[in-house]
Amino acid sequence: MTCHDAREQFSGLVDDALVAGERAALEAHLATCADCRRELQRFRDTVALVRAVGPLRAPAGFVDRVLEAARLVPWYKRLVRGLFLPWPIKLPIEAAAIVLVGIGVALVYRATPPQRFSPVESIAPSMRDAFEGAAPQGAARAPAREAEVPRETEPRRLANTRELDKGKNQARELARSPEAKDAAEPPKAPAQTPPSAAAPPAAALQQPATRSRDLDALKTQERREKLESQYAEKTHAPRAEGERAPSAGTQYLQPAAPPAPRSQADASALKRAAPSITGSALTPPAVSARLTVSDREAAVRSVTELATRLGAETYRADSAAGQDQVLVLMVPRDVYPELVRELEQLGRWQPSNEPAELPAQVRVVLQITR
Amino acid sequence: MEGRTGDDASLVDRLRRGDSRAFEDLVIAYQHRVFGVALRMLGNRAEAEELAQEVFLRVYRAIGEFRGEAKLSTWLYAITARQCLNRLTTGERRMARQGEETLTRLASREVGPAEEMERNELETALHRAIAELSEERRIVVVLRDLEGLSYEEIAAALELELGTVRSRLHRARMDLRDKLERFLP
Repeated sequence: MTCHDAREQFSGLVDDALVAGERAALEAHLATCADCRRELQRFRDTVALVRAVGPLRAPAGFVDRVLEAARLVPWYKRLVRGLFLPWPIKLPIEAAAIVLVGIGVALVYRATPPQRFSPVESIAPSMRDAFEGAAPQGAARAPAREAEVPRETEPRRLANTRELDKGKNQARELARSPEAKDAAEPPKAPAQTPPSAAAPPAAALQQPATRSRDLDALKTQERREKLESQYAEKTHAPRAEGERAPSAGTQYLQPAAPPAPRSQADASALKRAAPSITGSALTPPAVSARLTVSDREAAVRSVTELATRLGAETYRADSAAGQDQVLVLMVPRDVYPELVRELEQLGRWQPSNEPAELPAQVRVVLQITR
Repeated sequence: MEGRTGDDASLVDRLRRGDSRAFEDLVIAYQHRVFGVALRMLGNRAEAEELAQEVFLRVYRAIGEFRGEAKLSTWLYAITARQCLNRLTTGERRMARQGEETLTRLASREVGPAEEMERNELETALHRAIAELSEERRIVVVLRDLEGLSYEEIAAALELELGTVRSRLHRARMDLRDKLERFLP
């Protein structure tokens, strides 16, 4: 083996890539050639130096930039894949989603009409003003409902705000003119029934329409609560997956969102926080009642104190002094009986609508009258 | 080193299933290696980043073509090397050679005490020596001595005969020995 041949094998030797024969021949030459041994050492040192070079690092943010580019480049492919492929799986899912949305809409539509008979209608005009005052932004839905009462055939859809405003104004007029009041609330509100109305049979005889309406309202509410819970179960999973849930349906079926029990400080803060109460003022109250007292102003104070003590949120409608006063209370179900007991101490407690099964947060619309 | 080959099989499976996280994992695992080879070959950071990005996008689109006969890393190196050589030979180099000094500056960013400077000098000389190798020798020495591929893997990645790999590597090392003469004991 010549020195040239031997040096040609250095790389193979360093990398341990020589076959046995090559290696033996090389080692035999190296044993006799000092130059080649020295040369091999320099060669080894060179390779060691090169291998000691530190690795280079990709610049910061490189991964993000690549991912971003990956999203941009095959966008059409991704879109097609995302929307349509694989057909055999996606088509049935999409069809099922459409059917579900349809069912949801139908359920909501069927559940909604009885709302017009909700106890909101059966409360006194001052209270209706109170709702409008309390709900400057959200008022559209409540007056719209009121406006339908005298004109049953009017389509329920009030698409734009102009129509909504019209409905609202009509409702205001109806509420204020005494002769129109009857039209607005066909049989008189139970708030004006004689004290004996507390006895159910008498009430049923005297106020059959009111009675059946209250029952209707009760049924509707129960049904809605049932639907809410069903929907809550059904809609959660698909929404989490693909945001394809029927948003309109769920919006309607949004539970009356019973706020978690709050501290008293919170409760008083809430008195001023109109929007949170506003939302609840637009849903039918769980309980509507009249409290007949000798001094209305004093009674308002007492009820407010009582509510604060029980951890209830209160909202007082703007009513002129010397008129009936309206308070809206959000009270946890477990303290509701206590609230009633206390109210009975303050005056004559006449619930016009008091469902047997109360929601976790009971909304009580209380008219304080003399 | 990130992205050990043991994980590659499952990574490839996930990539084939269209798992977008798998692509992210792939980029995270191989970004430095792909970028490193690109920078050694092109000598310009911006161009190297652009090329490395192209490599990953190619992998993203062509994962179906990966047969699994070679290691995932070898496949990535093959794509990177081919892209680099294409770019170098077709003259498709928008950023030209303006940034070619980058590599020599890489090591001299930090200036410290005397021995540190000496080390930096060696590093600079090494980077420069590698950068000055011919492209076909450079890619072999980069894959072998910096990236640790076997002769067979290099032959597969560059689609060369084993003997060619061996001789190119040997020539490259002899060139380096001459250039690094003064640093050898």
